[in-house]
Amino acid sequence: MAKQTFKLDVNGRNYTVQVEPDEPLLWVLRDDLKLTGSKFGCGVGVCGACSVLIDGVARRSCCVHVANVTQGQEIITIEGLGTLDNLSPLQQAFVAHTAFCCGFCTPGMIITATALLARNPSPSKEEIVEAMDHNLCRCGSYINIIEAIESFIKERAGGSAE
Amino acid sequence: MSVSRRQFLKAMGGAGLVYAFRFAPAASSQEKNYDTLPLDIGDVECVETILDLDYTEWIAFGPDGKVTVFTGRTELGQGLKTVITAVVTQGLDILQGKLTVVQGDTELCPDDGPTTGSSATKYVCWGFWLACTRIREDLITRASRSLGIPLRDLEYSDGGVGLKGDRSQRKSAYELGDGKAVLMRIDPNTSRANDMPYVDLGILNVNGRKIVTGKLKYVGDLSVPGMLYAGWLTQPYHPDLTRLRTAELSAAWAVPDVKMVEVVRGTVAVVAERYNQVLKALDAVKAEWSVPERPEHLDLEEESRARARLYEVKEQEGNVEAGLASSDLVVSETYTTQYTTQAPMETDTALARMENGGTRATVWVSSQHPFMARTIISRYTHIPDSNIHVIAMPLGGGFGGKTSNPVTGEAAMLARITRMPVKLVYSRKDQFKLRGRVKAACVIDLKTGVSVNGRIIARKIDIIHDMGFGTTNTYTIPHVSTKLYHAEWPFGRAVSRGTSFVQTCFAVESHVDMIAAALGIDPLEFRRNNVQFQAFITLLDACAEMIGYHNALPSPNTGIGMAIVNHGGSQLGAVAAEVEVIRSTGKVNLKRICGAFDIGTVINRNTTTVGIRGAITWGIGYALHEEIKLDGHKIETVDLMDYHIPRFSDMPPVEIAFFDNYQPGSPRGCGEMPVIPTIGAIANAVYRAIGVRFYSTPITPQKIKKALQGF
Repeated sequence: MAKQTFKLDVNGRNYTVQVEPDEPLLWVLRDDLKLTGSKFGCGVGVCGACSVLIDGVARRSCCVHVANVTQGQEIITIEGLGTLDNLSPLQQAFVAHTAFCCGFCTPGMIITATALLARNPSPSKEEIVEAMDHNLCRCGSYINIIEAIESFIKERAGGSAE
Repeated sequence: MSVSRRQFLKAMGGAGLVYAFRFAPAASSQEKNYDTLPLDIGDVECVETILDLDYTEWIAFGPDGKVTVFTGRTELGQGLKTVITAVVTQGLDILQGKLTVVQGDTELCPDDGPTTGSSATKYVCWGFWLACTRIREDLITRASRSLGIPLRDLEYSDGGVGLKGDRSQRKSAYELGDGKAVLMRIDPNTSRANDMPYVDLGILNVNGRKIVTGKLKYVGDLSVPGMLYAGWLTQPYHPDLTRLRTAELSAAWAVPDVKMVEVVRGTVAVVAERYNQVLKALDAVKAEWSVPERPEHLDLEEESRARARLYEVKEQEGNVEAGLASSDLVVSETYTTQYTTQAPMETDTALARMENGGTRATVWVSSQHPFMARTIISRYTHIPDSNIHVIAMPLGGGFGGKTSNPVTGEAAMLARITRMPVKLVYSRKDQFKLRGRVKAACVIDLKTGVSVNGRIIARKIDIIHDMGFGTTNTYTIPHVSTKLYHAEWPFGRAVSRGTSFVQTCFAVESHVDMIAAALGIDPLEFRRNNVQFQAFITLLDACAEMIGYHNALPSPNTGIGMAIVNHGGSQLGAVAAEVEVIRSTGKVNLKRICGAFDIGTVINRNTTTVGIRGAITWGIGYALHEEIKLDGHKIETVDLMDYHIPRFSDMPPVEIAFFDNYQPGSPRGCGEMPVIPTIGAIANAVYRAIGVRFYSTPITPQKIKKALQGF
C-alpha cells in the first residue's frame, strides 16, 4: 500500500505524516509524533491501553486507521490532558489515590474516564464501572481508580458549589 | 576487568563516600567478615572485590548533599522505587529531591538476583532502613575524629553531622568521606533499628506524575536512530513439538519497507520499518508446520497421573498411615487447577543496539532480572557478558513471567543479523503462546484424618505438577506426608503471582471446609482449633468481624467462606469472601471480600494497599475466570477476549486490615500472599451458598449451572 500524506490535529497542534492509509493511529502517535503515552497492549481493541479522545469520544487508537481520521477531527492523547508541572484535576486525583501500580494502563484509564466525565459530570458508581469496564488493568488497581474518579467528582461538585 | 565496572565507577563519580551493603543474616563464626576491608572507591579491582563478596546494594554520597542508591532490583509496579525513597529519605533525613534511585542497569547496579517472590520489601527496603541507622552512626564517628568533638555532642541530620543544636560546625557526608568504600553486612531479619522507629509518612508513588501524564518510559516508548521493528511467526503448536516444514516468504518481502524475512531458530523472523509492516509481512508468510504425534484431545488429570514421578518429599513427620488408621474420620479428595498465564498489559518488549562493529550491545529490556537478561543475550549473540549493557526500564507488569524472558536475546540476535537497532514487540498472541508462561494445571490428592472432637491427626498430600509450597506451618498436624510429583509435559511450570501456593492452598483450604462439614463443625471454629499459630486466630477473628460472619442472616444462595495461608513462613493471611450465586445463570456475584494480613511493618500504606487489592483481584481471577484452554498441544486461548482477567465489574468492595503479631517489628512483604487465600475463600463461600463443592478451578458459570441443573 502506497504511503499518503495525512494531516492530524493532535493536542491542539497540526501534524503532517506520510504513512500507509491502514496504519493504526496508535503507531502514528507513538512513532511519528513521539507521543508514547498511548500504549500498545493487545492491538485488537480489547484492553484499552491505547485509548485516545477523538472529538471527545474515547476510541481505541490501535483499531483506528489513520485514513479514517477525518481532517478537522480533534485528537487528544494523555499528553494533551496535563503536563508534569500542571496535572489535570483528574490526573491529580489518580496520583493522590495511587490509582495504579505499574501504570501501563493508566493513560487509557484517564482518557476513558475523561470522556465519561465530559458526557456525564456526575456518574454513579455503576455508571463509572460500566463506562470503564472495557479498560483492563492486570495489576488490579480497579478499586483505587474508582476512588480517584469519585473523589474528582466530589471535589469538582464542592468547588462549583462555592 | 570488565568495562561495566569502569562505568560503575564513573557513576560513583565524585562520590566522597560510598557504603556497600550485604543484606544477609549475620556471618557464622567460620565465615569471614569482610566489613573492615579497606577499599578504594576509585580502584576498579577494589570495586570488583566488593561485588564478588556480594555487597550488592550501594549508597553513594556526592557533593551538594546528593545521595544515590543503586540496586539491581527492578520496578515492576510494586512501588519499589517509592518504598526505597520512603525508607532512605527518612533514614537519612534528606529531601526527596536530593535522592536518586538507580535500578536494574547492569553497568551501574550490582546484581542482586531476580525481583520476585515478594522479597524486595523484606530484604532490600528493610535492609536500607537498617543501613541508614548504621550510616548515621558511622558518620558521627567520623565527624568526632575529624572535628575533635566528643560523640555525645554531635548529632546527625540532613546528610551531615554537626554540634547538637548548632549548625555552624557541620560536615556533610561527602566531606567526611575519605575516598574509601565502607562495607556493611546487615541482617534484614533484625527487627528493631536501634531507637529509630520507622514512621509511614504516606508518600505517594514517586513515578505517579509521570504515569498519569504518559511520561513514564517503558521499553516500547524508547527509540534510537535507525531503529527497526521486528516480530516472529508464532508456532501453532508448542515450539518443542513442531517443525517448520516449508515457508513461502516472497509475499512477505513484497510488503513495503521490509528489511528481513528469514527462517531463524525454527520459525520466521521479520524486520521492517514499522510495526504494522511487520504484522503484514508475518500475515503474508505461508508456513507449513509438522503436526505433533500426540493425540489432539488429552485428559489432563489422566495424563498427569500416568506420567507422574516422585521428585521431592516435602514434608514427612510422624507416621501418616498409622495416624490415618487411628483417626475417627478420614476425608479423601482430589482437586485440580487450571492452566493460567501472567498476561501483563505490556507484552514482552526489548530494544537492542549493536555497537563497536557488533562486539558490544546495549539492550533495553522489560525484565525482572536484568543480569539474567544479559546472560540470555550473550547466549543468543555470542557476545560476552562483559560487553553487554542491559538497562531495565520500568515494567508494564511482570508477575513472574519476565524473569528469564527470551525477548531480550531475540531482539539482540535480530539486531546483530540486520546490523540495525531492533525493537521486538511481542503480539498479544505471542505473549499467550510463549513457552514458560503457562502456569501448570495441578492434580492434588488429599487424605486427612481427624478425631471426632475436631483435631487434625494425620494428613497425606500428593501433588502433581506443583512445588508444594503453602502446605506447611499452617495447621498443627502430628502425622504429615506431602509428596511432590512431576510429570513430563510441554506446557511447563511457569512462575506467576502467588507462585504455586495458589494451587495447593485452594485444595487444602477447600478440603479443610469439607472436613469441618463432615464433622458438623463450623469451618471457622475448626480452623481456630487447628491452626499452628495464635496469630492466625487473630486474623480469622478479624476477618469474621469485618465480614459479619456471626451476624450473617441465612439467605438463599449466599454464603461466606474463609481461607488462610502461611506464605513463605513469614507472611500470614486470612481472607473472607461473601458470595451470592445466581442459580439461573450460574454466575457468582462477589458481595464482599475482607482480608486480614500479618505482614509486619507496613512501609508505605499507599502502595501496599493498592498492591494488596491487586493481589485479591488476582485471586478472584484464579478462582472464577482465568483459564488457558489447551487442545492437546495447542494453546487455544490466545487473546484477552477469551482469557478473562478480572475487570471493574468483577470487583466487590474490599476491606483489609494489617497486623504485626507473628514476627513483629520488620516488614515482610505482601505483593503475592493475598492472592492465595482469596481463591479458597471464594470456593468455600460458593459451597456455603449452594451446597456444591467444586473440585476444580476456575469455578465458572458453566460448571455451576451443570452442577445445579445437570446440563
